[in-house]
Amino acid sequence: MYRFIRFAILLMGLLSASSSFAADAHLEPLTTADDLGPVVEQPIEFPHNRHAKDMGINCIYCHTYSRRGNVAGIPPMQKCIGCHQNIESVRETPRIKKLFEYWDAKKAIPWKKVHDLPDFVRFNHERHIKRFVFQQNRPVQEVCGACHGDVKEMTVARRQKSLAMGWCMSCHEKEHVVVAQGGMPIGTAAYWYAMKKPAVKADGTVVAKGPNDCSSCHY
Amino acid sequence: MSVTNLLENWSEFRHAHPVGDVPHDPYKWAMSIDLDACTGCNACSVACYAENNLPVVGKEKYAAGHSMHWMRIERYWPVDDTTSLEPATREFPDQGAQFLPMMCQQCEAAPCETVCPVGATNHTPDGLNSQAYNRCVGSRYCSANCPFKVRYFNWYDYPTTENVWPAEMTQQLNPDITLRSKGVMEKCTFCVQRIRAGERSVKNEGRVLKDGEVQTACQQVCPTGAITFGNLIDSESKVHQQWKAQRVELTADEQEKDKEADSGLRGYRILEELRAYPSVMYMERVRESAI
Repeated sequence: MYRFIRFAILLMGLLSASSSFAADAHLEPLTTADDLGPVVEQPIEFPHNRHAKDMGINCIYCHTYSRRGNVAGIPPMQKCIGCHQNIESVRETPRIKKLFEYWDAKKAIPWKKVHDLPDFVRFNHERHIKRFVFQQNRPVQEVCGACHGDVKEMTVARRQKSLAMGWCMSCHEKEHVVVAQGGMPIGTAAYWYAMKKPAVKADGTVVAKGPNDCSSCHY
Repeated sequence: MSVTNLLENWSEFRHAHPVGDVPHDPYKWAMSIDLDACTGCNACSVACYAENNLPVVGKEKYAAGHSMHWMRIERYWPVDDTTSLEPATREFPDQGAQFLPMMCQQCEAAPCETVCPVGATNHTPDGLNSQAYNRCVGSRYCSANCPFKVRYFNWYDYPTTENVWPAEMTQQLNPDITLRSKGVMEKCTFCVQRIRAGERSVKNEGRVLKDGEVQTACQQVCPTGAITFGNLIDSESKVHQQWKAQRVELTADEQEKDKEADSGLRGYRILEELRAYPSVMYMERVRESAI
């Protein structure tokens, strides 16, 4: 008899616990089922496809801080104006007119963040760009695309990957070549990845994994 | 973390030192503190508050046991007559105070690490005792098990608590470190944000950190240079030379100073007999006179 009462109390507790959890449902889920992030409405519908695909502009030309800082950042407006003041053919199109409105009013464009990590994670762009673009000599769009998706096919960027820790680790657990053919050599002095010496394979290639220690990213 | 990776590299996880087969390489962060140079000025403590976004909890919360100071100065006063059981005649003698800066000792065999139910505190390959705030569930078991009592709990959500950071002061918070939320444990990290930033910059150059390239906040401000921080493996580093000069061994539970009387050595570690193998060496005071 008591067993049933206990069971009933447990059930009630579980129910109330789950319902109180559901009360927090106003929080947006971190990822959607297909890993696509929410659609972000930007003040100007920036056409990444025109710039990255049609014009073939290097990602790092505008997102220049990605190779020397933690945060890739948003390019300053001078970068837009620097080119667009000389491009008469699109000067009267609605998006460019809007750009110059901001420029003449001396106001920053209030871009919204698309790839937003929680505050307890420290992601570093610089190391990823240095490692994969410069040392491994891979195409920039492939390297950026590993996390940001195929941006050259988008207008306004949308998050394509989950950016969850397990997803980060799926790449950090793989062995990557340290310096590939044509890549930037990194000197003869000792260097470490993942706080470990890189391993040397039987055929002489030097490989290393990404850091997998908690305090590499969480502090 | 896949199961195969977990099984293959099991010895690397929850890896407690000292063990001979997995030596620290290339870094083992350690510290030495010269108590003879320490004047108890509290500059280290203030620098720590500024660097690590520590909330100033105030008198009432402190009295309630909700203290929050990663770096604290402990005071010791001489007793008039050590043989007497009577209380000292004066609470604060005019002179003779001795000071001891106390922060997380980054133990190699840390008692806090083994008791964490969720693995939020771990040993890193470079010899730090890391704390992942987002993983911590606030059981406070680590604090209970810490022999040095240097772990501090967030009893309140300090960033949103009134008067902890007045609105105009939020601009001075350090963006390189998390603002801890309510219900997580925190402690001195040896300024891990500075270490990681240094590591990143030297990785670009394909080398390892040299002595002096990473300073902790407390070391940086100490007016008498009592605090030395560095890589214990690097034989060029000042901290290595100080440990060596004092013949303090990381993996020993009794140092030379205590083995032989009149050895002239000053180096020791606190509560060594507990075999937590701390990474902070203290050099005992020589001066007799007070400050």
